[in-house]
Amino acid sequence: MSLYEDSALPVRADLEAAHQAQFERFGQPGTWGSGAQRIAVVAAARQAGIDAGVHEAPEDGGATSDMELPKVVRDIIATVAVSPKDVDLDFYNAAIGSGLSDAEYTEIVGLVSFITNLDVFARGIGVPLRPLPEPLPGEPSRVRPPEAVQEQAFVPTIPNPPEGGEVAKAMYGPFKPYIMRAMSLVPEEFNDHIALERAQYLPLEKIMEYDFNHHDGLTRPQAEVVAGRVSALNDCFY
Amino acid sequence: MNPEALVRPELDIGVPHGDLLLVFAEAIIGTDRAALDAARDALIKALGPEAISGASAIAGNFTKNDRVANGLGIPVDPPVLKGTEELREQLGINAYKSAENTFRHM
Repeated sequence: MSLYEDSALPVRADLEAAHQAQFERFGQPGTWGSGAQRIAVVAAARQAGIDAGVHEAPEDGGATSDMELPKVVRDIIATVAVSPKDVDLDFYNAAIGSGLSDAEYTEIVGLVSFITNLDVFARGIGVPLRPLPEPLPGEPSRVRPPEAVQEQAFVPTIPNPPEGGEVAKAMYGPFKPYIMRAMSLVPEEFNDHIALERAQYLPLEKIMEYDFNHHDGLTRPQAEVVAGRVSALNDCFY
Repeated sequence: MNPEALVRPELDIGVPHGDLLLVFAEAIIGTDRAALDAARDALIKALGPEAISGASAIAGNFTKNDRVANGLGIPVDPPVLKGTEELREQLGINAYKSAENTFRHM
């Protein structure tokens, strides 16, 4: 059964495939979290949205986790999932001061952002939240890119070329704005972020083509209305 | 497009069916399920059923990006910042808490 087979509304095949891939990624060992830890983070983020009334609890939520997450992780999940406008430098410094690494923090923010994204989509097309996959065995890769340095985000990032070197060229091409580079401290999450961006917003090489319509039935200006209104409601300056 | 309608949705945004898209964008991340269902139905009538997954994908994507941006504390890139001075003033977004992530570097 495909991911959105029960949808009464059409979903583009490449969009469905990108979402399917992301759901599978949740249960796989990541860079810093095991499959079980990642599912625990994702399940907690979803539950925070349900508790806040922004998502409806599904009959079949899929995999669950009885893993006890540390308080600092629970706090990050709850805040990023429901009230991201309340995250500031003090919040980040407190999280890091509690013993979490900057890279672990980045992976957690990514997971929470991605599941919130997918749950908002399901709600939008009127289907129940999709079941979470069972976690897969295996160890996290624990690979930290040596090219990542402290720029201007809370977390280190890989700079654009030429400062970021060959790795940056391979990841970014000539240039990527901060919103694309934000997760580069954890390249696997960076890749997931970009894959969702391409399927959901538009292929990045088309960004300056203002008459390029990525979604059936929706012009680029109409897409930007939705994008701008969501960001305004989230008090997102970026 | 009148970008001021993004923060004051009672204004005319100047995009075909933009009023319905503003309502849908608010409903999809809101807590009123009946309002979302009504907004979706209105959008289907105006733009067709195929537009819903696109609008939902955009809403989901920027739900993600807002969390990535605020959660990781990224600043706005300088060329964008320079080119949007007037617009930011007009929309009042310089007052957002997340603006600190840009202004603390200036």
